Amino acid sequence: MQPIVQCKNLTHYYGKRCIYENLNFEIPKGRILGLLGKNGTGKTTTINILNGYLKPRSGECLMFGENSANLSPETKQKVGLLIEGHVQYTLMNIHEIEKYYSAFYPKWKKEAYWELMKLLKIDPKQKLSQMSCGQKSQVALGLILAQDPELLILDDFSMGLDPGYRVLFVDYLSEYARAENKTVFVTSHIIQDMERLIDDCMIMDYGSILYQQPVEKLLNDFKRFRFSGNVQSFDGIEQVIHPVTIKGNTEFYSFEKKDELTRILTYSGFKPTDIKEESLTLEEAFIGLTGKY
Amino acid sequence: MEKALLYKEWKKTRLFTLGIAIIGIILLGYILLKLGRSFRLAGMEHLWDVIVNRKQFMFRDLKYFPIAAALWLGMAQYFPEVIQKRIKLSLHLPLPEGKVILLMYGYGLGILLGVYLLQLLSLWVFSSINFPYEFTISTFKTLAPWYIAGFITYLFVAMVCLEPVWKRRAFNGLLGIATVYLFFLSDVPSAYQPVIYLLIVTLVAVFPFGFLSVQRFKEGTQD
Repeated sequence: MQPIVQCKNLTHYYGKRCIYENLNFEIPKGRILGLLGKNGTGKTTTINILNGYLKPRSGECLMFGENSANLSPETKQKVGLLIEGHVQYTLMNIHEIEKYYSAFYPKWKKEAYWELMKLLKIDPKQKLSQMSCGQKSQVALGLILAQDPELLILDDFSMGLDPGYRVLFVDYLSEYARAENKTVFVTSHIIQDMERLIDDCMIMDYGSILYQQPVEKLLNDFKRFRFSGNVQSFDGIEQVIHPVTIKGNTEFYSFEKKDELTRILTYSGFKPTDIKEESLTLEEAFIGLTGKY
Repeated sequence: MEKALLYKEWKKTRLFTLGIAIIGIILLGYILLKLGRSFRLAGMEHLWDVIVNRKQFMFRDLKYFPIAAALWLGMAQYFPEVIQKRIKLSLHLPLPEGKVILLMYGYGLGILLGVYLLQLLSLWVFSSINFPYEFTISTFKTLAPWYIAGFITYLFVAMVCLEPVWKRRAFNGLLGIATVYLFFLSDVPSAYQPVIYLLIVTLVAVFPFGFLSVQRFKEGTQD
């Protein structure tokens, strides 16, 4: 089955600064893909190219087989977009904005919208400009769910939200996406939220994709290891990722199993006798792969 | 879908639209009352001397209203789209993007046309009653450049607001000011009559500029 989103050989520069070259990835139908990366690695660049608001230096992004820079109206109806900051027209109240958007989408499901609006403790005539960030995010989410798109693109969905609204957002989105077999592409800086939501993760580093696999596989394969001892250098041991020694204790990350790692380290002249293997959360795995600042 | 889009434009601009319509009527009313007072105090013969021999234009006070109204309406309509780049919401709607911008243009130009016509029709009636036909025609030939400048001002405001880069915005703004300035070089009655078609061609030429700004926005141009 053709993927919903395909990005092929994406290359982009800002002036002379290379963001990435020949980036390739796909989002299969029915999967929730989370894009993770440090600041400046190209997450927003990728989202903007995907949404047709940035022309890449070369390469293309396809959504439902169409170039994302020139989507037909029929394809745009299938794509629900949440802009960073839950941007909406704040001069309208919840009735007016629902009426406005419903005119554009024949499959509009107002029940999905009003189910969320029931939870909002506001005056029905209250404009969005008079609502808090969390309340606005709830309205934005309701509008997207009512649109009933096949593909949802959510840029930094947790920005400015308190924990309560973040949980509400993740719970509603996760239940909706899984029940309706929707495809979701999402970014956020709060990786705990992403861990509860996404099926697959794509971790970007400066200039490339570091890792793109299901989250379950990452957390099964990628571990942290600690042992006591000072290590000056792990040069030449590519299985050891981002080693750090602090006050006589060394920690590093690896995709290798503990036994194989012990064998490699011993062969390389290290004699670790007390290697401890630790499972990671998604956030810890992200830091392990990308390194601490 | 189109009605919904126009409803959104109305929500943004309804107070400003009512404002400029009311100000336009009040301004015209003030001018007509002032003229009426001149009829009574100075007499028609003196007034006729002023108009014919000294080439004074009786409705000079209307000069800057069209561009002020256009500036006001354009800012009310397009500035909210610039905040947080809300124009992305409109461009993402399931409509051809050119149609979205055309509808926004159509709304603004339509409102301006309505406000201008309200004023001009009232003026036509007054002038037809109190002055000869030739004077009325000459009046409207004198007013035409100022009202065309109003439409051009609106188009430049759209172009400036929708442009994503500040340096280009400043350049577009200066270009707009320079273009509109050409329409105000003289208020001698019927001074622009030989070049009136050129003024209309300028209006047509400026029309696509806003689409260029949107295209640059879509490409993510940064310089």
